[in-house]
Amino acid sequence: MSMPLTPAPVEALEARLNVRWPNIAAARDLAVQTRAKLRGVLIGIDSEDSSVVVSGSLARDEFTTGSDIDWSLLIDGQADPNVVDTLPRIEEIIDAIAAKPPGREGTFGALSFSHDLIHQIGGEDDTNRNTTRRILLLLESSPIGRPDAYERVLKSILQRYINEDDGFRRGSGRYHVPRFLQNDFARYWRTMAVDFAYKRRSRHGRGAAMRNFKLRMSCKLIYVSGLLTCFSCELKLSGRPGGHPCPAPGGSPECIACLRDFLRLTPLEILATTLLAFPHLDATARTLFNAYDRFLGLLADKKSRDYLESLPPDPDTHDATWGEARQITHEFRDHCSKCSSTSRAIYTISLRCTESFNASYHRLFHRRAGIR
Amino acid sequence: MHRTIGFSTGALAFGDFRRALDMLRRRDIPAVELSALRQPELGPLRAGISELDLSRFAYVAVHAPSNIKGDTEEQVVNHLLDFAAKGWPIVVHPDAMHDYSLWRTFGDLLCVENMDKRKPVGRTVDELSCVFDRLPDASLCLDLGHARQVDATMTEAYLIVKSYVSKLRQVHISEVNTCSRHDRLSFSSIKAFQQVAEFIPENVPVIVESVIDECDIEPELRSVEEALPVRVAVA
Repeated sequence: MSMPLTPAPVEALEARLNVRWPNIAAARDLAVQTRAKLRGVLIGIDSEDSSVVVSGSLARDEFTTGSDIDWSLLIDGQADPNVVDTLPRIEEIIDAIAAKPPGREGTFGALSFSHDLIHQIGGEDDTNRNTTRRILLLLESSPIGRPDAYERVLKSILQRYINEDDGFRRGSGRYHVPRFLQNDFARYWRTMAVDFAYKRRSRHGRGAAMRNFKLRMSCKLIYVSGLLTCFSCELKLSGRPGGHPCPAPGGSPECIACLRDFLRLTPLEILATTLLAFPHLDATARTLFNAYDRFLGLLADKKSRDYLESLPPDPDTHDATWGEARQITHEFRDHCSKCSSTSRAIYTISLRCTESFNASYHRLFHRRAGIR
Repeated sequence: MHRTIGFSTGALAFGDFRRALDMLRRRDIPAVELSALRQPELGPLRAGISELDLSRFAYVAVHAPSNIKGDTEEQVVNHLLDFAAKGWPIVVHPDAMHDYSLWRTFGDLLCVENMDKRKPVGRTVDELSCVFDRLPDASLCLDLGHARQVDATMTEAYLIVKSYVSKLRQVHISEVNTCSRHDRLSFSSIKAFQQVAEFIPENVPVIVESVIDECDIEPELRSVEEALPVRVAVA
């Protein structure tokens, strides 16, 4: 197996800053335990052509007792009419462990096919659901049990982003950043933001405050981690021990292998890996991770979580719990933007091409959604 | 320069190696891999070897059984040593070996093959490194069909070649379908293999494992030449 880029980057950052993030650690421990439990009970369900894949908090190592389990059965093999019979069995097993069923959009708790994920990037057939499945497969997924199909599909998706990015392959741009991939991450971030408004309307505001909280924290985190993944080569973050030296430009196999390895890290680990490389951002790192730790602490606390779930779409700004949530999201937002100073490349590209960090949050989402 | 391309006797005639050798002789094909993929085929192959005239083949290899009964491993190795004594490489699946000390006897004539997706070992560069750690003198048989089945992007194949080019003794080529059966090359597999062709030294023999009828030998050879073109030097 490939080596992780940095052993336990979040713990390494904790050690450097001499702090503890107990909620992050607890969520990680619970995620590891839950995946191990699932592995035990799902044995024999998968095959060399099918992988049970979890997404969301369980894959991100941010699992709390109130978390749902987003799962899918990823198929990369011969068409088999009987495979659908597997779904109720998996559902039964996972429902016994999960606090609640996966989201109602039908993105999870279902079959997912490699051909759609690999071939339908952009265009009419790249549906909202397909984009979501593909991007989450890259940024926050973990196979439970046999990873064969999962690994094949992931590499094939990455190959499309790399091999069809002529500028990246030729090294013709000023920065060595895979723009096709970066643009799809940026598109997905906007899809999440738009879907927030859609769900708020279609669900008559129910759960909107909690979704807003998550959008501004965990969803933003996976977008940031996607951007940092794209910048990882430019920022020289991706040198793994025993890895293959980058022959850029044009070295697509190395790039695919390198990106694949980088994406083994969770979003928080990607953020920590980046911040570890830039000691001048230690204060930012402390605030970002403190905010995220408090976010997970609120989610892990049943009383707070239930309360946030029950809030109306426009909560009273004087509400103590909502006030704390808002403060956490503001700290996270403001210090995410400071990550752009890790590199002139990020700063330039993020503003010019994707309005990624501070500019986009204000212009695209916060202002339009009426968030201050 | 041309690549040395030959066939596996098993691909052409399963256990009937004499019939396969006749097909190859008639066509002046310069390389052959004598297949004993199923353990019961090893005895007859060993018994018949002294009466076979293989002098016309520039390259001869032997494929060891893919599934060796636990208590017969030493006996199988002893049989295979007779072939190795002639300087013929012994191609072996990593999961067929249980007592690695027996196999170290072959030195660099032991040719470890990367595996298809069904097998738990030897599929990727990382998994192969575990095998070569235990068999440091062994060489490599790169099975392009297996590598493509494990990773259609050919990234894994590329990494295997880059990591072990100094160990690369021969190449297996065929399409490996979703049922893990060796089949004729398709347009897609030809395009995939072309991606790594330039990294495979031209003097490394290529053994075709596509299961085909005799009448399909020439078309399959043309497909292999298309899949693994030899780079023409520009003056």
